[in-house]
Amino acid sequence: MNLTIFLLALFDGIAYAALVFIVALGLTLIFGVMRILNVAHGSLYAIGAYATVALTGFFLSLGLAPALSFPLMLVAAILVGILLGGPIEWLLLRRIYDKPEVLQLLVTFAVFMILEDVQRLVWGTQPYFEARALQALGNVTVFGVTYTVYQLILLPAVALVLLLGLRFFLRRTILGKLITATTEDREAAQSIGIDADKVFLLTFIVGAALGGLGGALASPTTSILPGMGADMIVLSFAVVATAGLGQIEGAALTALMIGLGRSFAVYVWPEVAVLVPYLIMVLVLLVRPEGLFGSPAARKI
Amino acid sequence: MLELRDVNASIGIIPILRNLDFFIGAGETVALIGRNGAGKTTLLRTIMGFTKITGEIRFDGRPIGAMPPPARPGLGIGYAPEDRRLFSAFTVEENILLPAQAARLSAEETKRRLDRAYRILPELREMAGRPAGNVSGGQGKMVALARALMLGTKLVMLDEPFQGLAPALAQRYAEALRALRDADRSVTLIITESNPALLRGFADRTLVIERGEVAEGALEPETTPA
Ligand SMILES: Nc1ncnc2c1ncn2[C@@H]1O[C@H](COP(=O)(O)OP(=O)(O)OP(=O)(O)O)[C@@H](O)[C@H]1O
Ligand SMILES: [Mg+2]
Repeated sequence: MNLTIFLLALFDGIAYAALVFIVALGLTLIFGVMRILNVAHGSLYAIGAYATVALTGFFLSLGLAPALSFPLMLVAAILVGILLGGPIEWLLLRRIYDKPEVLQLLVTFAVFMILEDVQRLVWGTQPYFEARALQALGNVTVFGVTYTVYQLILLPAVALVLLLGLRFFLRRTILGKLITATTEDREAAQSIGIDADKVFLLTFIVGAALGGLGGALASPTTSILPGMGADMIVLSFAVVATAGLGQIEGAALTALMIGLGRSFAVYVWPEVAVLVPYLIMVLVLLVRPEGLFGSPAARKI
Repeated sequence: MLELRDVNASIGIIPILRNLDFFIGAGETVALIGRNGAGKTTLLRTIMGFTKITGEIRFDGRPIGAMPPPARPGLGIGYAPEDRRLFSAFTVEENILLPAQAARLSAEETKRRLDRAYRILPELREMAGRPAGNVSGGQGKMVALARALMLGTKLVMLDEPFQGLAPALAQRYAEALRALRDADRSVTLIITESNPALLRGFADRTLVIERGEVAEGALEPETTPA
């Protein structure tokens, strides 16, 4: 393997890991706080991507600058959080927190199926491409390897800001502290006046918006087509499970590990590249069922 | 101040408390005595809203039976649960402050209440910055008491606070409770205990709870001659 290929694999891995991490962050936040594994998170990712393409297509056709794509991604993510995340928690999940986990899984899976059909209904089955945000930032050359600034710098930077921002939010802001307290002990939190219902709603909206943001950020780098949500939920679940459910920093490291493992496999052993994330997950979980960073009993966020 | 009329409480579908009917006046210190499994914890959790009830609970004359649990502390109720239940992600002081933050008290009011808690439990000042997961069991009880004091301006409920405390710490804890009494005569205190001797001479009144039923009682020794 020469330097060029090594760097390409490295950059592919980092860019990919950044995207997967952003999606996994939403998934693990929701699980950490609410103990719900939200299968519909994959649809939120896909809808974030579709919504970004629709919004960008509309506004740029009015002659606005491509740089407008970036705030539109944020808008798409927030819309996903509020318009989809809000009602899902409020109308469905709220009723099943004290029900068996299998039922919770089935309900979020049903939401996933419904949202998959909604996507086909609204956007059809034709793939969409919308790479103007990617082109707007141009390229950078590192040791002779040319890569997009969007993937090599913007995506990892966003991932890092989200990681540090979420940690700061949960530990240092009042609202974040109320969320963290509810995560640790719901009844004790309610006993000191924390409205756990509101905390859950807010957490789900933020988590859903992170899924949507992952899709929004992925949209310029990939073709947007039915099924992308299913791929992403499986992958981000692999990251979250390998790290340990609810582990935020762990998810970042695991995403990097899985992203790099996959991208190097593409060059070294392409036949198994798509399997690598799951091989890593299975290996880790065989040795440590609670995940790399999880502890068997404690519930951490 | 606190009135239960004909209250039955259940956890899930299991009935636990029966025919509760009593009144506790403002400023009273009530010892709630009962053996293991008698229903002490369930009674306090019922007042906090964590069980399903029939009958009526009134706080300052206002029915609160249907009020969701997180709304109740805002009425002026502080509750220190049986096993402390501190939040280990935070420091001692952050734990104490949380109820004030949940209730959105102003900065001045929060400071006033924090000072009051520290006046009653001055030793907590020194451990204010320690992670709450790193304090000893006895210190944890003090922190839980301080946390309960933040919103407990009218009613403070302590679930077996002396359980497992070393004698010196138990002494200290009782002193703190006296300081609380002296600082504010209008605060109502409900303290549960399985060993009545620990609260002798401290409570104005004793309620005895046995198999989910509450009766007015005296501080009898635990074992009675056959
Ligand atoms: N979550 C629960 N589900 C079913 N039964 C419960 C539950 N919690 C308590 N009980 C039952 O309710 C009764 C009263 O329990 P409670 O914890 O209120 O007693 P207690 O007086 O606080 O005892 P201790 O001195 O051990 O703290 C017990 O018989 C207990 O088994
Ligand atoms: Mg008890």
